Amino acid sequence: MPPATRTRLERALLAVCFCTLALYPWLYSNYLSTTLTQWLPDTSTAFVILAFTVMGLGLNFVVGYAGLLDLGYVAFFAAGAYVAGWLASEQFANAGSVVFGGTVLPKTPGIHLSPWLVLLAAALFSALLGVVIGVPTLRLRGDYLAIVTLGFGEIIPQFVRNGDNLGGFNLTNGAFGMNGIDGLGFGNTVHHAIHTLPSNFLNELDSRWYYWTALALVVVTIVTSLLLRDSRLGRAWIAIREDEDAAAAMGVPLMRTKTLSYAIGAFFGGAAGAMITLQAGATSPDAFSLQVSIFVLCMVILGGIGNVWGVTLGGILLAYVNYKGLFAAGNTFNSTFGTNVDISQYAYLIYGVAIVLFMLVRPEGLIPSARRRAELVEEPEEENVGAEASPA
Amino acid sequence: MGTGVGTAAASSRRPILALVPRIRSRAVTALGILLLGLVAFWLVENAVHDIGQFGLVTLNGITNGSIYALVAIGYTLVYGILELINFAHGDVFSWGAMIAYSVAISWLGADNHSGIELFGILAVALLCAGAFCATLNVAVERVAYRRLRNAPRLAPLITAIGMSFVLSNAIAVVYGFNYVSSEPLLSRRALFTIEGQSYGWDKLIVLLITVPTLMSLMVVVKRTRWGKAMRATAQNRDAARLMGIDVDRAIAFAFGIGGALAGIGGFVYLVYFTQGRFDLGFQIGLFAFTAAVLGGIGNILGAALGGYLIGFIENYNSGLTWHAPGPSWTESLIFILLILILVFRPHGLLGEELSTRS
Amino acid sequence: MTAELLVDARAIRKEFGGLVACNDIDFTVERGAIVSLIGPNGAGKTTFFNMLTGAYTPTSGEIVFDGRDIVGLPQHKITALGIGRTFQNIRLFGAMTALENVLVGMHSRLRSGLFRSLARTPLQRREEKDGRAQARELLAYCGLSPRAEQQYARHLAYGDQRRVEVARALATNPKLLLLDEPTAGMNPKETIAFVDFVRKAREERGLTVLLIEHDMRVVVEVSERVTVLDYGEKIAEGTPDEVTADERVRSAYLGTKPVS
Repeated sequence: MPPATRTRLERALLAVCFCTLALYPWLYSNYLSTTLTQWLPDTSTAFVILAFTVMGLGLNFVVGYAGLLDLGYVAFFAAGAYVAGWLASEQFANAGSVVFGGTVLPKTPGIHLSPWLVLLAAALFSALLGVVIGVPTLRLRGDYLAIVTLGFGEIIPQFVRNGDNLGGFNLTNGAFGMNGIDGLGFGNTVHHAIHTLPSNFLNELDSRWYYWTALALVVVTIVTSLLLRDSRLGRAWIAIREDEDAAAAMGVPLMRTKTLSYAIGAFFGGAAGAMITLQAGATSPDAFSLQVSIFVLCMVILGGIGNVWGVTLGGILLAYVNYKGLFAAGNTFNSTFGTNVDISQYAYLIYGVAIVLFMLVRPEGLIPSARRRAELVEEPEEENVGAEASPA
Repeated sequence: MGTGVGTAAASSRRPILALVPRIRSRAVTALGILLLGLVAFWLVENAVHDIGQFGLVTLNGITNGSIYALVAIGYTLVYGILELINFAHGDVFSWGAMIAYSVAISWLGADNHSGIELFGILAVALLCAGAFCATLNVAVERVAYRRLRNAPRLAPLITAIGMSFVLSNAIAVVYGFNYVSSEPLLSRRALFTIEGQSYGWDKLIVLLITVPTLMSLMVVVKRTRWGKAMRATAQNRDAARLMGIDVDRAIAFAFGIGGALAGIGGFVYLVYFTQGRFDLGFQIGLFAFTAAVLGGIGNILGAALGGYLIGFIENYNSGLTWHAPGPSWTESLIFILLILILVFRPHGLLGEELSTRS
Repeated sequence: MTAELLVDARAIRKEFGGLVACNDIDFTVERGAIVSLIGPNGAGKTTFFNMLTGAYTPTSGEIVFDGRDIVGLPQHKITALGIGRTFQNIRLFGAMTALENVLVGMHSRLRSGLFRSLARTPLQRREEKDGRAQARELLAYCGLSPRAEQQYARHLAYGDQRRVEVARALATNPKLLLLDEPTAGMNPKETIAFVDFVRKAREERGLTVLLIEHDMRVVVEVSERVTVLDYGEKIAEGTPDEVTADERVRSAYLGTKPVS
């Protein structure tokens, strides 16, 4: 059914979930940290979990809505991370000092834009990269596209790794990556606006603010997903996913529509990448492996391809497992049985098994979209592309 | 083309519109030729520069290319029959190398033998690796892909990615995350030298194994009953079924052959490089897939040819000294090549143009 | 002159590899006519359709539609110019509702893009509302019961799927409607109803209809002109009576034995 108005129960459930998430830093420090500290992520880890959830939701535009398998999503993570590095660190110290709303002191060498601008710039740059990658490649058939995106996902880290000497110019600092990247904050802008506030008011923000920023981004991504799903554009994406040729024959411009989904997915990937980098204060090419792309893809599959709530849940769950749950389980296991196994080493074995099992047993994911269920539960018909194409 | 009077308005718009694809395809062809010309010039210049180095690098290219060719055929066979990129294939290859290590070195102690004994040990290891990987690949198909044969197209692909992670990390569980390695098994004493650069048994054996393997593969595919059944199934699965071919077994056969070749490839890799690790198959698998696409996916000869081309590209890029981008760019170069082929010539060098749009 | 001819295709040729699927076919359709394209399986009929809609680009030749050369135009532009189609094997968007399928057909007529959809501007909301109303009308026009509107296309009965597909094609607001074997799988009663529907739609919506059809009764009943293809060649053209009387047609299409 097309998303009918939600029931009261669903609304209430959503409100409770949101409030719990919004209050999490406070809940954690006041109540939970004493009792469940081993199992619950601290605020910084929770931030990372939410940031990755944004990536999952971003990839859902591409894989879930438009049905384009992207195995190189990490490229946009990388793009966002490096834009953050370029615009908020001393990477370009030679260019002098450009401080615009950054959290650093005036006259600090390098470019230091306001981190909020950096986030936006990273997302836009990433979307642009999505268009640049998408235009030549999105005309390819599904599985070829998967391979080509995987290729880009490998080329971009290698470019970053070799980017310390591009004709003598150091763009990326090579394998060392970039360090000393500014964090979130308002610099002295708040003080400038309201002089009664102290000059360091909200200058640099603590981990709770990172968490809330990530949560806000999750909300923005979810709302964007929902609004687009029930629009002309969203219908065109799903039509393409269902039957590309028929969609084209109905007047859907394939390239433009696909590129748009790719760019929107890239936009959120870039934003998440920048956010994680601003928090970590550093980034390096080692962070951009295929495994990240697969990890994010897992979120989409686990949650239910195309279903926004499912992917949100899948994202939070999987990122939790990856950043906290596995350690916790491992520690509990080891302390119970007196062993010394590092379970987190085998994370990707577990994810691999999970992907295979899910595709075989429950391809529609934890919370499938009703559409997807319609697609997967019944025996799909054999495709019959251009039946008379080759004259018999 | 006899354009009628009535269509004058239309014909005035015609030239630009109709010419766009033609101009584009010509420009692509011209650019392609230009690029090939530059590469040829670069190769000649390098050869003139240092012929000994060039010769050795060429031979290394053949050696590495053999491994890619063996792996690429597995991709091409499976794609030809199921239209599935079997992501897990590279990891089957890794298993081949690891099994060869276990049998030859851990179990039979090949590093302490020589002469005819060493030969025997290697033969056993080769057979074990081949048989193991054939079984493994068939099992993967049975467990993971068969049920998804009629599922939406991306479902088996995603499963294959999952399988790839399972297989590679399973190696890590058995052998750990670090390299396993041994002393050189075969004497690196030069069989001959070119301008001070030597070519030894360790490289020659790669060819001695690969070439007969590829030749017998051709015979199997062209002449045997199962080979024919496999090709028929690849052509048209429904028709093959109607003709009484057991399609499931034909597909399993393709996986078996592909797996055996990957196992042999793994063995060859181990003998040549004398080391292996759980994630070995990732990059080699991607290079081999590129090789299969380069040759024209679905085409066995093309996959072998593509494998050698990739071997040359890799070694010329990293081994030549005159204006080569260097090893740190190899991966990017090969992926760029892959992307260019898929975008501009998706049917590869030897593949036939598909009648339906791709 | 052009005003009379909606489709004026000249020397259309399509080769796949070495195979000639359409061999220099000249073909015209008058505005407002109902024309059938017939021929044995593999005669190149669907290939010809695919060239009209831009799914294939002809190897050579030109197709003038409504006074414009459409060769080389992307499919969605051709659709927007006024060519709508159905498929030989029904190809609905299975995981979308009947209503949504029709809304996709309206894609080139609706305007709201990314930003309007995100902002939910009044314009976008009105457009959505009107679009849905129109889609409902179209579905009802094609005979789908209102209950089926919200069902997934995949779950609809075969006859309803056919109806939705025609509604979806009409939603593109075509001047030329291409129907690829529309009566396949219909019983005689449904077929008669469909023939009436085609006539009615032509009158009421000012359509020109081109159909590929195997059922000769339908062809004779509904079409004003018939073109016969065989092995990629046009072997006959004319009124249904002329064509069925043609010896070459009989031998190629109906088998070598003369039909009593």
